Amino acid sequence: MSPVSTSSQPASGWTCPFCPLLCDDMRPPAAAAGGALALDGVDCPRAQAALATFAAVPVQASPQLNGKDCGLDTAIDAAARVLAASRQPLFSGLGTDVAGARALYRLACETGAICDAAQGSSLMQGVRTQQDHGGFSTTLAEVRTRADLIVFIGGLHSAIAPRLLLRCGVGDDIVATRHVVVLGGSAAEIAMLANIPGITAEALPLQGDLFETIALLGALVAGRPLREVHPGLAALAARLHAASYAVLIGATSALPPQGALVIEGLQRTVAELNRRSRAAMLWLSGGDGAGTVNQVFSWLSGLPLRSRAGPSGLEHDPLRFDGRRLLADGAMDSLLWISGFDAGQVIPETPLARIVLGHPALRIPSHSSGADTVFIPISTPGIGSAGHLFRTDGSVLLPLFAVYQDCLPAAAEVLGRITHALKALRALKAVQEGQP
Amino acid sequence: MSTLRLRGGRIIDPANRIEEVRDLVVRDGRIISALAHEPVDEDIDVPGCVIMAGGIDMHTHIGGGKVNLARLLLPEDHRVNGNPVALPDNPLELPSCGGCTPGTLATGYRYVEMGYTAAFEPAMMACNARHTHMEMGDTPILDHGAYVMLGNDELLLQMLAEGRDFEQIRDYTAWTIHASKAMGVKVVNPGGISAFKFNQRKLDVDEAHRHWQVTPRQVVQTLARALRELGVPHPLHIHGSNLGVAGNIASTLDTIKALEGLPGHLTHVQFHAYGTEGAKKFSSAALQLAEAVNSNPNISIDVGQIMFGQTVTASGDTMRQHAQSAFANPRKWIGADIECEAGCGVVPFRYREQSYVNALQWAIGLEIFLLVDDPWRVVLTTDHPNGGPFTSYPHLIKLLMDRSFREEQLAKLHPDVAQHCALRSITRELSLSEIAIMTRAGPARLLGLADRGHLGTGAAADIAVYREHDDRERMFTTPEFVFKDGQLVARAGRITAVPVGGTHFVEPEFDRGIEKTLRKHLARHGSVNFDHIAIGHDELCSCCNGGRLLPTACLEAGA
Repeated sequence: MSPVSTSSQPASGWTCPFCPLLCDDMRPPAAAAGGALALDGVDCPRAQAALATFAAVPVQASPQLNGKDCGLDTAIDAAARVLAASRQPLFSGLGTDVAGARALYRLACETGAICDAAQGSSLMQGVRTQQDHGGFSTTLAEVRTRADLIVFIGGLHSAIAPRLLLRCGVGDDIVATRHVVVLGGSAAEIAMLANIPGITAEALPLQGDLFETIALLGALVAGRPLREVHPGLAALAARLHAASYAVLIGATSALPPQGALVIEGLQRTVAELNRRSRAAMLWLSGGDGAGTVNQVFSWLSGLPLRSRAGPSGLEHDPLRFDGRRLLADGAMDSLLWISGFDAGQVIPETPLARIVLGHPALRIPSHSSGADTVFIPISTPGIGSAGHLFRTDGSVLLPLFAVYQDCLPAAAEVLGRITHALKALRALKAVQEGQP
Repeated sequence: MSTLRLRGGRIIDPANRIEEVRDLVVRDGRIISALAHEPVDEDIDVPGCVIMAGGIDMHTHIGGGKVNLARLLLPEDHRVNGNPVALPDNPLELPSCGGCTPGTLATGYRYVEMGYTAAFEPAMMACNARHTHMEMGDTPILDHGAYVMLGNDELLLQMLAEGRDFEQIRDYTAWTIHASKAMGVKVVNPGGISAFKFNQRKLDVDEAHRHWQVTPRQVVQTLARALRELGVPHPLHIHGSNLGVAGNIASTLDTIKALEGLPGHLTHVQFHAYGTEGAKKFSSAALQLAEAVNSNPNISIDVGQIMFGQTVTASGDTMRQHAQSAFANPRKWIGADIECEAGCGVVPFRYREQSYVNALQWAIGLEIFLLVDDPWRVVLTTDHPNGGPFTSYPHLIKLLMDRSFREEQLAKLHPDVAQHCALRSITRELSLSEIAIMTRAGPARLLGLADRGHLGTGAAADIAVYREHDDRERMFTTPEFVFKDGQLVARAGRITAVPVGGTHFVEPEFDRGIEKTLRKHLARHGSVNFDHIAIGHDELCSCCNGGRLLPTACLEAGA
């Protein structure tokens, strides 16, 4: 295996951009049998699956206009024309890094686009709870170093973040006695925990659904009288009070509809605990660039995603600006989709004119509406170029390192050029129409 | 080469002891000395105007994790009466909004329109340094820098607890500055943020941290000494113990004593100057504080004046913010334990004129401004946004320069404060020169910025030209001209150019041997690969949007 390094890359470092944990403790991926990238000696199915979609050497991939190869200039020009003709674009997917988000904001301002991530609904569960109630959170190093009680909400979420237990220090000896509870976990998860040395673990079934369970747990922690006895939850409430540092861990994408209510309930419980002892929450959220673009838009404009610089001003509406619903309702007239990390991302079917920036292997659903489809393959930060992403806890912005120097342009470059071309088109139109 | 002459303005340049009408000539972004009739490319007549160096805000929360959390917490701060904020009519501006926590773009525009050309984020977490630099890089026009937080990181507390050699701690301090590309070091509630993680709810200056058995006195002393020995120009930036607690003047005076003559900058000191006298057991200790500052030349302060109205407090002081969260208005707040090195608490707050406590806080801030003799050691701040948004600076300047206006405002407050506070009897009105010291010359000197904050030959041409007006609020709200490195960036309150600002930082020398200790510690307790922590110059440049890197020279060790 022979990783190709760049001048900016440390000899032995790599940051995995494929899940919200952004693990950076492994050697860079290198060529495996079959010519794709792979990690050596790291057991992370999510990273391995993502890496398998990248060749071990830079690949050429041509932009396409309506399924036919074209030059980048042609694709940029076509994209600018799509946006120039659009009265209300939707920018979605949003699988990009800080540099991509910075460039995207300028284009969003230029076009009045509504911006929403591919996983916008789960991202907004957390955003809306924060807007309404706030909350108390923690980060990976705190969990690893100090949490003597970890409660996983709704399972271990290993499909979302396979190395979550490891990153939380479950199984290492920093905390003398660590107890792990899985609320609503599967039998397989409990069996797996039983094999980890140095911890005690238990599974607690849900009492009714997740909403009801969280409400019961909250009532028990707050010491409110309940009609029925729930020995398991009552014991958990006692453990939460007795812990030196109790951490509750959930995943926003695993929550049911109206999952914001679960987050609120858990945050109330954490607030109650913090009156006398110490507790905090950690949410797995914002992967695939969503959390990063949300942060960047928030700092640039003051408003998170599901916003637009529209005719009446800077608007944010976490419900009304749900991209998938707007598409389904026919409320948009063009779509710009970015998927820089996920080659298998499913792009919503729509008859609208589309601009897609993404992994060269991205499948774009065909349509017969006659509207243009522009596809521009882009470099993936962390594979073909450097970049930055926010980790799930939001406090750490990690550098991404190129495994090799790509032939493909970065999202930021493409978006900057589309913005430039769009402004030029508008200026030309203004001159033709005799406007000052 | 292009030259510009500002003709006929009154130059107020306290760093060079100049206060007179004379021309000011700029060439290629620098101030030059030129003969009276030397030809220039452009002449701008500014009779009736006051010319000062560009303003420098050395303590303003403009970027990084907790600021963005404040934005996320308060969508209502980014609307006007529930409606969207209108898009800018200036094609040079990108849309950006917010009152007490504006987006970075709006932050840059609004500061520059007021004549400010640099701003410093005072509470950068090392783990969040890239994010902080990113936000500052997206704050247009302004130069910027940040102080990295130490003193609640478990490693420093452990080193103190284990009685490690001072030199190791000094090198660790220097490494942290180097890795995060900081301009200085801030300590917040020394040891207290960490103590809160171990469920301690209060920590006095000589009280031991429950787990590490280390006191705030040790933390302050050690860090101040480390910075002194490293030659970092800005003294230890100290957010003291017991912020907001009645009677905390004792902690503040103890902190000054803990410094044992070493340089220290007490920040937002208004929040740390409370006594326990009177029926409400809450009183002004501004006089005691001012006396301590007056008699300790090693101490500088910024005030953290409060302004009435809605704001949000964003602080690293989780211990105190958790306690204050009961007063959140609106009733919501965000807290976090962060990476075994820091924390944060974001609590929205509405300061009310008819609240006895808030009215007294307002009076205490003004008393401090007016009772400290040496303006070079007092910096004008509201601890944006904690005491109020930076956009209220012109109003604050009027309060300080105009006694009758001050009395009018005082009369509107809670009657017990209006009738009994010491502020009533203070007649001092600050001069334009004193304002220039507190808003540019002083901060530049406290930060070690040799070519900023003044208008002498060779200085960077960061210039604000204000039309003289008896109404000082009006005068300081909208300068006629603002230049950044010689480029006109605002004209009569309208942005005219949006260059990318530069990044100030210091690079103290240290023994790289410390990296072995850090690597070992972080492998066990950290969550980021040690090799990925330090920000290199190229990366800093890309974080900061390609702005210039402005390293500030360190002093001779111990100077």
